Amino acid sequence: MNILTRILRTPLGIAAVVMLTLVVATAIFAPILWGEEAAAVDTDNMLAGPSLEHPIGTDQLGRDLLLRVLVATRLSVTLAVLATLVAVSAGLILGVAPLLLGRHIGRGVTWLVGVAVAFPGLLLALSFAVIFGSGWLGAVLAIGLAGAPSFARLCQTLIAGVASRDFVAAARIGGVGRFRVLTRHVLPNIGEPLIVNATIGAGGALLAFAGLSFIGLGVQPPDYDWGRLMMEGLLGIYVNPLAALAPGMAVVIAGLSFNLVGEAAARSLGIQVGGFTSKVRKAASKPVTAPAAVVAADAADNDDVVLDVRDLRVSFPGPAGDVRPVRGVSFSVRRGEAVGIVGESGSGKSVTALSIAQLVESPGVVEAKALSFLGEDLVHGDTARHRKLLGTSLAMVFQDPMTSFNPTKRMGAQLAEVATEHQGLSRKEALARAIDRLDAVRITDPAQRAKQYPHEFSGGMRQRAMIGMGLMGAPALIIADEPTTALDVTVQQQVLDLLEAIRERDDVALLLISHDVSVVAEVCDRVLVMYAGRIVEDLPAADLATAAKHPYTRALLAAVPDMDTHLHLPLATIAGRPVDPAQLPEGCAYAARCPLADARCRAVDPHLATDEDGDRVACWRAGEPMPLGMPQVRTGVETNETEGVLV
Amino acid sequence: MSELRFDDVTVRFGAGRTATTAVDGVSLTIPDGEVVGLVGESGSGKSTLARAAVGLAPITSGRILLDGAPIAPRRGYRPLQMVFQDPYSSLDPRMSIGDSIAEIIPRGLSRAARRDEVARLLELVHLDPTHARAYPGHLSGGMRQRVALARALAGRPEVLVADEITSALDVSIQGSVLNLVRELQAELGLSMLFISHNLAVVRYVASRVAVMYRGRIVEEGPTLQILEDPQHEYTRNLLAAIPGRAKTPTLI
Repeated sequence: MNILTRILRTPLGIAAVVMLTLVVATAIFAPILWGEEAAAVDTDNMLAGPSLEHPIGTDQLGRDLLLRVLVATRLSVTLAVLATLVAVSAGLILGVAPLLLGRHIGRGVTWLVGVAVAFPGLLLALSFAVIFGSGWLGAVLAIGLAGAPSFARLCQTLIAGVASRDFVAAARIGGVGRFRVLTRHVLPNIGEPLIVNATIGAGGALLAFAGLSFIGLGVQPPDYDWGRLMMEGLLGIYVNPLAALAPGMAVVIAGLSFNLVGEAAARSLGIQVGGFTSKVRKAASKPVTAPAAVVAADAADNDDVVLDVRDLRVSFPGPAGDVRPVRGVSFSVRRGEAVGIVGESGSGKSVTALSIAQLVESPGVVEAKALSFLGEDLVHGDTARHRKLLGTSLAMVFQDPMTSFNPTKRMGAQLAEVATEHQGLSRKEALARAIDRLDAVRITDPAQRAKQYPHEFSGGMRQRAMIGMGLMGAPALIIADEPTTALDVTVQQQVLDLLEAIRERDDVALLLISHDVSVVAEVCDRVLVMYAGRIVEDLPAADLATAAKHPYTRALLAAVPDMDTHLHLPLATIAGRPVDPAQLPEGCAYAARCPLADARCRAVDPHLATDEDGDRVACWRAGEPMPLGMPQVRTGVETNETEGVLV
Repeated sequence: MSELRFDDVTVRFGAGRTATTAVDGVSLTIPDGEVVGLVGESGSGKSTLARAAVGLAPITSGRILLDGAPIAPRRGYRPLQMVFQDPYSSLDPRMSIGDSIAEIIPRGLSRAARRDEVARLLELVHLDPTHARAYPGHLSGGMRQRVALARALAGRPEVLVADEITSALDVSIQGSVLNLVRELQAELGLSMLFISHNLAVVRYVASRVAVMYRGRIVEEGPTLQILEDPQHEYTRNLLAAIPGRAKTPTLI
């Protein structure tokens, strides 16, 4: 029922469900109510035109056509559904064969299905119809079997997706047989998309059936379906066009109701289908909006500041009110400075980076008292100019370099595009600069490499090329979001070294986002610790190990083993789980997990207070010693024996 | 309990000129009741070796022996179990965690005995047994990885293969999963192949470490010895690449 309520949430879904209900109700009740009347011969009224008594006229035997169209609903819909069932069953059998029969036979079945899919469906249906002979059973089998290859292909694709997941591997290791894997793990996970596609398939089957009956291969007299009625009506189309059009409209309405229900279900479940309505929707990106807020003027005074963020807030509409992944973040980055942001997943660190680069997409809303980059106010004003400024002066490096590049374009061309787009260079000049930049990020033989595609680069090389792309302009700031998380340890070091070298050479500022405290501590001058959408501590990286004041920062440091962790003590852990951004508590967001928390922490949210050194911390009990048995402040390498956890 | 031995194991994918050798003549012993850490870069073949051990990857040549005998899947008894990297993909979203665990419990137990066994396993990994009816979607990453551990233990394994089990978890949760691994290993005396790219994690969990590079084991020995006195060039690079090493060069 959950799926039905989700479908009914959209106007399209409501319309589709109402339509399908009407069609099904007609199929059930029309033959009971009007069955005899529709078969009643009236020789006085043969081939009559529309009148009050017969709204769309009568046929050769004087039978009322409107009633016949309504009564024919049952046979038309039933046969279409039967044909779909044949198609799905045959498709399912062919689809699961590779899983059950093992690799070699399975490959043969896959090959066969591939050939069958390539064969035109209508032609297949016609040849089957000839083989099975005319009549409804033959037509059901013909249309069903003609639809089977595409369902088989769908099943194979869905099954392959599920079968490669680790839970199937785990079940196999655990001695669960193939058939049980199929029934317990695979089928339940492909059921939804299969049913949705079958519903859409039923619409197609209805149309195909009408076609077969129309050419006389389907339903035979005295039975009649819509196709049959159309064929009979066609004879008198110049006398009474409604006789042929009415059953045609019935086919369209019923077919549409199946298709739309399927589409609506697919959309509410997030399944991709090749339907026509899915193409209508187009992603609209909404420009960053801001409340009528005064832009802080004092930030622009300081030439040294590359990026100034004041009270940045990001919200996304959610089912139970807005979700706010970033709730008032303020910081600035000076020229040449390296600032790190650390935090768990869901702390808002990546959203912060995206909103600075103006990459938060609709329906997300970004608000800030000030968001200025190189003195340019990004909250208000001209977006085209912002795009150009960001395109040339801001470089973004993402976690997964494979998805950041277009796999079908050569690397050199992709880098060059930046320069033709933002700097107005000619193609040739841009490519020359691209090769120069690849060289700058230490890619050997850059001219040759520029001709290659992204998949020909290793992970570390792609990440360096991504940095090279950022260097096509003259960046003042590089934002790197988990740039080394997907890389090997040795490659990670090369990428970090490269960032360091660029920073020193051109005085470029770096905003490094990472979950790995040790990476941030090594690379950055200053560290911002984020929790639940806020900065909870801002301190020099050098003080991280010795002078962290917030209990969360201290716990984060103690929870990860490093090469000096005491081997005989258990690691420190952080109790509980991160707060849900949709359900934030009244007081400090960390209070529920914090061993120091008292009544005040749970009632009043601490603000980010600045101390005399310029460090900031948001905690009522900052720097207080932890209770016994909890992670203590680290005191550096000299006292290795006492760090970690005191049990 | 048991000793797992890889004897000159080779795993090759594909055929002819396009064939790639993922594991190239690896011999490695996981002594009874010890944790052997396996480190190496991605593509070095460490995950393939793990998958070969549990029968997910067919071995081209060589033997994998448990207590000197080839591993034969005996009825109702699984001597090797594996825990995967991503707890979001290793649990069936359509199956309650109790069912996921019960599925691996050897057959021949009554329904009530199975339920008790699920409860016992959940308690073993410090989860509330009432969670048995919950679905993976309702659990955090750390809790899911505990469930994955409980499921592996349901097969009563003598050797456990853990493939990067903390690298998909948030930093604040990694510690508790590593604590649990150490605790279970000590309690149950499991032999364990612990794969990780993180040397600090391996140092904390494993008594021995093997370094894999391009399909071969290039160095193997007691953990502290390897970390303090690496012999192979690649091991030295690996150690030098750990963030913050330059600042704190000392080892305990």
